[in-house]
Amino acid sequence: MNSILLIVFLPLLAAIVGGLGNRALGNLPVKLITTGALFVSCALSWPIFLGFIAGDAQATVVPVLQWVQSGSLDFDWALRVDTLTAVMLVVITTVSALVHLYSWGYMDEDPDQPRFFAYLSLFTFAMLMLVTADNLVQMFFGWEGVGLASYLLIGFWFRKPSANAAAIKAFVVNRVGDLGFMLGIFGTFWVFGTVSIPEILAAAPAMSGSTIGFLGYRMQTMDILCILLFIGAMGKSAQLGLHTWLPDAMEGPTPVSALIHAATMVTAGVFMVCRLSPMFETAPIALGMVTFVGAATCIFAATIGTTQWDIKRVIAYSTCSQLGYMFFAAGVGAYGAAMFHLFTHAFFKALLFLGAGSVIHAMHHEQDMRYYGGLRKRIPLTFFAMLAGTLAITGVGIYWLHAGFAGFHSKDAILEVAFARGTEMGQFAFWMGAFAALLTSFYSWRLMFLTFWGKPRWAESEHIQHAVHHGHDDPEAHNPPVQEDAGHDAVHAVPSADQGDGTAGYHPHESPISMLVPLGVLTLGAVFAGFIFNPQFLDSAEFWGGSIYYNENLIHAMHAVPLWVKLTASIVMLLGLFGAWLAYIRDTSIPGKFVEQFRLVHRFVYNKWYFDELYDLIFVRPAFWFGRKLWKIGDEGIIDRFGPNGAAWLVLKGTGAAKRVQSGYLTSYALIMLLGLIAAVTWVLM
Amino acid sequence: MVDLSQYLPILIFLAIALAMSAAFVFLPMGVSRLTGTHNPTANKLTEYECGFPAFEDSRSQFDVRFYLVAILFIIFDLEAAFLFPWAVSLDLTGWAGWVTMMIFLFELIIGFAYAWKTGALEWE
Amino acid sequence: MDYANSLYLTGPEVFLSVSGLILTLIAAWGGQKAARLSTILAVGALVGASIITAAFLINPAFEQGGDAFGGLYRMDAFGSVSKLLIYLAGIGCLIVTPRFFDKGLEYRPEYPLLVVFASVGMGMMVSATDLMTLYIGLELSSLSSYVLASFTRSDDRSAEAGLKYFVLGALASGILLYGMSLVYGFSGSTSYLAIRPAFEGTLGTGALFGVIFVLAGLAFKISAVPFHMWTPDVYEGAPTPVTTFFSTAPKVAAIAMTARITLDAFGNQADAWRQVIIFAALASVVVGALGAIGQSNIKRLLAYSSINNVGFILIGLATGTAAGASAMLVYLAIYVAMSLGSFVAVLMLRDKDGNQVENMADIAGLSRAKPMIALCLAAMMLSLAGIPPLYGFWGKFVVFQAAVEADMVVLAAIGIAASVIGAFYYLKIVKIMYFDEPANVVTGKNDLAHWTVLAVTAIFVSPLGYLLTIPMGALADRAAAALFAVV
Repeated sequence: MNSILLIVFLPLLAAIVGGLGNRALGNLPVKLITTGALFVSCALSWPIFLGFIAGDAQATVVPVLQWVQSGSLDFDWALRVDTLTAVMLVVITTVSALVHLYSWGYMDEDPDQPRFFAYLSLFTFAMLMLVTADNLVQMFFGWEGVGLASYLLIGFWFRKPSANAAAIKAFVVNRVGDLGFMLGIFGTFWVFGTVSIPEILAAAPAMSGSTIGFLGYRMQTMDILCILLFIGAMGKSAQLGLHTWLPDAMEGPTPVSALIHAATMVTAGVFMVCRLSPMFETAPIALGMVTFVGAATCIFAATIGTTQWDIKRVIAYSTCSQLGYMFFAAGVGAYGAAMFHLFTHAFFKALLFLGAGSVIHAMHHEQDMRYYGGLRKRIPLTFFAMLAGTLAITGVGIYWLHAGFAGFHSKDAILEVAFARGTEMGQFAFWMGAFAALLTSFYSWRLMFLTFWGKPRWAESEHIQHAVHHGHDDPEAHNPPVQEDAGHDAVHAVPSADQGDGTAGYHPHESPISMLVPLGVLTLGAVFAGFIFNPQFLDSAEFWGGSIYYNENLIHAMHAVPLWVKLTASIVMLLGLFGAWLAYIRDTSIPGKFVEQFRLVHRFVYNKWYFDELYDLIFVRPAFWFGRKLWKIGDEGIIDRFGPNGAAWLVLKGTGAAKRVQSGYLTSYALIMLLGLIAAVTWVLM
Repeated sequence: MVDLSQYLPILIFLAIALAMSAAFVFLPMGVSRLTGTHNPTANKLTEYECGFPAFEDSRSQFDVRFYLVAILFIIFDLEAAFLFPWAVSLDLTGWAGWVTMMIFLFELIIGFAYAWKTGALEWE
Repeated sequence: MDYANSLYLTGPEVFLSVSGLILTLIAAWGGQKAARLSTILAVGALVGASIITAAFLINPAFEQGGDAFGGLYRMDAFGSVSKLLIYLAGIGCLIVTPRFFDKGLEYRPEYPLLVVFASVGMGMMVSATDLMTLYIGLELSSLSSYVLASFTRSDDRSAEAGLKYFVLGALASGILLYGMSLVYGFSGSTSYLAIRPAFEGTLGTGALFGVIFVLAGLAFKISAVPFHMWTPDVYEGAPTPVTTFFSTAPKVAAIAMTARITLDAFGNQADAWRQVIIFAALASVVVGALGAIGQSNIKRLLAYSSINNVGFILIGLATGTAAGASAMLVYLAIYVAMSLGSFVAVLMLRDKDGNQVENMADIAGLSRAKPMIALCLAAMMLSLAGIPPLYGFWGKFVVFQAAVEADMVVLAAIGIAASVIGAFYYLKIVKIMYFDEPANVVTGKNDLAHWTVLAVTAIFVSPLGYLLTIPMGALADRAAAALFAVV
């Protein structure tokens, strides 16, 4: 099965060729190379995945290179292919290939296209390294690689200060998580004496119950290790506490958001927990934490999603929320369900993002939904794609037929399994998840209604005005300054739609074919992925083949939950839909009144629970203060002063002295010779 | 310990020299006083040495030809002086010594010829 | 038979002396018109001396060297290698000289004559195994040098340079002579072979004085700090070809002479002179580096550079080991090439009237006006700074390696640190030539002789030089071994 080598290294090769060739190669060759490489990778990945689906493939490890041999630390580069990896392979290569294709259209006017495509391919390579990792260090390599690629892509428009700030924020927040991950790896090596994942997982059950002492406390070894590893996952997957970077990451180009910040990289945390699931199973406290954090993120992000105006931010919080589902599914022990949701989510969330990108493209880079409206007939193909994505994320389906959109299969399963778990934490997660599902439905339909229904409200948009007045293809408009929120009081001042027809004479246009094809493919995934793969992901221990911890009893319990539990998801979905319809179609004054009534609550939620402000106060300012002190006192005051600057000062003084001594007078020369002689004699005689 | 006794003749010589020179300086002065011809003038009181005023600006200019002549004199004088020890010890150094000195003299002659030909010996 | 042997061993000096005498006569009768002929003959004489020396070097009968004139004089691999360096440097300097005087400055047949006599003196210095021989050789080369320094009599700076050199040189000679008299007084001999056993164990104060005074006198010749004061003034004032000569051949001679006297005559007193040498080495390295930074005249800067380099060479000597002596010779060879190349490059900087350009500001943007000269000069500078892959790096490397092997890590560390300071002004020249706005002063043309010398030296310091590493290292090892064979 050496196709895995091609799958992993073709994107790297493409990234190197495209990145180094850059302008020398030109736009078209680089795009062809990178996109071509990804489609080949994708085409090679599906047979592997289908092999596992059919049940005739075996888990293998393909060695690549020797890496480290130092004492007891001994590990190699090796590519591991099992069911879990195969699932990730198809997700990554498919979405990545489609995003590459989509970017042909979306980035068409950008001056730096080779760089963009090289970064995308580089990201794909790193992500593939992560999911094929056979040991923790290699996983960490991929982990950091995707972090780097994410940083580069968020800050792709580096002339925009906000993009730079977002890139740095993403990097720094991820470092916090990475520190946990690293400590987890160190600790694992310390406890198990190896970083090889299979060996660790084999040894983990025996370690259950052992304790380690730290600063006088006795702690459960496995719990502490798993919590540290989970902190890494929290950072990468933007879970509550370390989530602040994800919404800001929307500064990057929309295809990036679709690939990295929806479908693949942010799910790395979930993947890691599933990969190490036998280890987590021995750590009940850590699992409780995973469940709690997942459920809390789920509800927290959903509340914020209901109030945001930026179309990408809504989807970003939605992503955050959906990741919460995956985590609490893993936390209650249903790793298959977590992976299933990851799988379906990748399709419909990428679809939503790319659809949003298509809308943004059509609306001349306007991202504020207050200035949308009535787009249903203008861009019908995008509308249908978005509709499919919304139906998928809200989990539309008919229970009795076992038929529905992708989210119906995966999300419902998660809610059921949380309930079936029977623990308090499981109950908590179930109710939180159910409420979040209501909110999910609400904000998803809110997005749809604001964007595609109603009357056009474009006239007030600066971007649209700009386009109308300066011609649509003004290249400068391509890196638009992002509109910050207009402040609390203007929040619900939806521009009135009755100024003429509200279009300001602007005509949105449907996106080019290169963008519509990925939308179409992903639409298929959003519609059918859940239905087709449901039996394997959820009910088949053979399918997983030991690559994750599979709890047969839990699945049986899941199927045996009461009917009302099974119907909960569908009911709350309808409630959310109804609420959204009421507020944004029937009577558009309701949101304003609601805000009037619950001003404080709204403000709290609208401002993302003030997490950014809190962190600014607790961490950022002290860190800046400390850094400034180190810089001024430590670096400039001590190191520079006594180091380079001091040495340079000494040299200058010495030069001055040497010049003064060289007076040109014979007598002084003779004097110095004699003084030197006397000094030498004195020295030797002493 | 150095035996100083053998330096005694030198000491005696020094004492006599000192006495004699003192006598030469002070005797005329005393005599002139006593005989009543003590009549100092500015010219008489100036020091006298080799035709030049003893105390004046040391940067006064000489004709550079003085130096040239002096340098040539010193060179040939010194090298001629080598002939004395050579002549005295010729019986010890033998033919080797003789040949060496002839070579030396030959070189000296070439130098002399060079100085002559380039006009170093002509005053004008 | 004994005399024939002695004459053979002193062959290069005898040959050069006779040539010098003939040149004297030509100068006397030929006058100014004979200047060019005289130059050609002098180059021929030096080539002849080189051939004789090389022939001696490969003569199997004298593989261990030989003593001439009853131990006054010793010809061995060390002396031969040093002499070869001296002669080659002399040839290089003579070739580029006539063109310098083309512009109304008086070039006379005495110039090559003096170079030849100086070479005789230097040959004696490196071969001397007796204080008397040493002194005569030293004075012969010094007196020639004094005259050379003030060769352009009409130029005030040149006259001043000659006078300063003479007065300070006389002072140094006095110190040296006084030291020699003390050494003679306390050892009872002027022969190195006799001094060595006499100076064993703890030395008395008087003998120590003697050793120190001798070293001080020699330090003047190699312009080591604090006896370096004459160097910048003389290098700046003397005509550039003379400066080229001063910075190459006499350096080799003086250092070889110092090595021989310290390692042979004072070989049993290494601890006494090593401290002085170490001090002089470090002081030279530091003062050379510091002094150069503030200079705006290229020749003056190169003078400090030569002081700086002498410091590195002395580090090799300070080790007192055969490896150190070998490293010192390797460094010397590379240094001669670098120094010759730099000064020739400076010689080639002329304005449109053919006058020399010495000011740093005037070479701004040289890379555009004269790309080849700028390239070669840049190579020299980077090589002097010891930046790999240029050959100058290798010289520094072997010296530091020898120091480290001799457990003188601190010495090596300070040397390396100081070479960082030194890099500043070397790089400054490169920066001025390549990155500053062109001053367009240097526009004059140059002849083949300059280009040849520049090309040869440039190729030597270029990475191609490393091809010579193995034969040169072997030769240096052999020479160093000869120095220690006397014991």
